[in-house]
Amino acid sequence: MAAYCIYAFGKVQSGMIAPDDMKFWATTILIFIGIGVIASIVIQIVFHLLLSIAIAVRKQMQEGKCDDKEVEKTIEQEMVEDEMDKLIGLKSIRIGFAIAGIGLIATLVSLLLNYSSAVMLNIIFISFSIGTSVEGVTQLYFYRRGV
Amino acid sequence: MAKKFRITNNIRKLRFFADEMTQQELAEKAGISRQTVIAIEAGKYSPSLELAFRIADAFGVNITDVFDYETKTEIRGGKA
Repeated sequence: MAAYCIYAFGKVQSGMIAPDDMKFWATTILIFIGIGVIASIVIQIVFHLLLSIAIAVRKQMQEGKCDDKEVEKTIEQEMVEDEMDKLIGLKSIRIGFAIAGIGLIATLVSLLLNYSSAVMLNIIFISFSIGTSVEGVTQLYFYRRGV
Repeated sequence: MAKKFRITNNIRKLRFFADEMTQQELAEKAGISRQTVIAIEAGKYSPSLELAFRIADAFGVNITDVFDYETKTEIRGGKA
């Protein structure tokens, strides 16, 4: 999101793009959504790789040998999703969507105050991004503090 | 005066008496993650009735031997 703000608002401030050029905003937002999706997939793959390596190294140090099947079994055990995970997920999604909802209302208010459609689009995108980030932070908080 | 309810558990004690069963072993027997076992043991999460039965079943004891239900009455900030 920080990259989006720096790129998009930088371009507008430099005067290359008109602030109400909707095609520019739509393209930029779509590109950054794509980047976000790809980044999250890459992060998950890297995380799984690091986890496998960490488990293999730990097993090697503890038992002096390491079997691929054992590593897979340990990962499966670590990745079990149970009722607490589901509850935490639901609670954090609720908070995330509350923020997105506030953004939507802010969008409507901005239209009432005669701001341009570009402002509306940005508020929606930014509020959804913040909502998603808050969702992640809330999940961490609930895992630490308990539900 | 307000009544407060709290669920306590004896999981640590039961694990000790079950030949020092690890949290991972309990998690596998109850079909949950180790993080959930840690949270329940620390009193940070109250499991559902179904999960409570599964945990009791993993130890081979009655559900009331694992979980206890405490009632506390608070009087103006103090506890009774």
